[in-house]
Amino acid sequence: MWVGVILLGLGVGILVGLMGIGGGVVLVPALVHLVGMDQHLAQGTTLFLLLPPLGLGALIVYWKKGNVDLRAGLTCAAGFLFGGYFGSLVALRVSSNDLHGMFGVFLMFFALLLWPKGRQPQATRKANG
Amino acid sequence: MADPRAPLWGVFAVTTGVGALAGFFGIGGGALLVPVLVLVFSFEQHLAQGTSLFALVPPVGLLAFLNYWHAGEVDWKVGLLLMPGVFLGGILGSRWAQWLSARHMRHVFAALLFILGAWQALSSWVH
Repeated sequence: MWVGVILLGLGVGILVGLMGIGGGVVLVPALVHLVGMDQHLAQGTTLFLLLPPLGLGALIVYWKKGNVDLRAGLTCAAGFLFGGYFGSLVALRVSSNDLHGMFGVFLMFFALLLWPKGRQPQATRKANG
Repeated sequence: MADPRAPLWGVFAVTTGVGALAGFFGIGGGALLVPVLVLVFSFEQHLAQGTSLFALVPPVGLLAFLNYWHAGEVDWKVGLLLMPGVFLGGILGSRWAQWLSARHMRHVFAALLFILGAWQALSSWVH
């Protein structure tokens, strides 16, 4: 079981690196469907494991290219800190079954949000040699 | 790079709303922050992704996490076991991303998420 969980983390991490996403979007359904967790437990565990800055390695790459807005970033962090507090209070009052269904609706919405980004004409790097 | 006239109060108000959504669904929120910075505040894509990664360095989910912890909804062992994999996988994935078509990968990923989401919603409410 523990080997499976470690491999699951590796698989999710690869998706994170490929897609440039946080990971929670994939981790919550993975914990529900593959590990068999209850929806609330999966969400609490995901928030716990995302506490350390797992994206730090990637940040350094962006930082070197000047692609970081410090003021906006700090403001976003403050907004997330307070917003997350109230959002989680509401979630813990919703039944696990309803939360599971709402997460499904959220996933569909997020998938639609993700789609057009890929339609923008952008140069894709090809392997040389 | 950074727009000095970025409306910080607007950014704060919008990200508090997005953060509430992130806390509600127990996700980090970076996935939501990038499209918001691009679509609402006209950030260039790379600047949005770098700013999002920077915003997520402090433990922004701390208050949300504490609420779940008090409710007894945290599995410590599984959480700790997932951390090294996600970190190392992230480095591997970002290297592989240079060899693959980003557009193709996004479409496959979005399609999978849509199907998973539809299945979750149906299994919860339709019996």
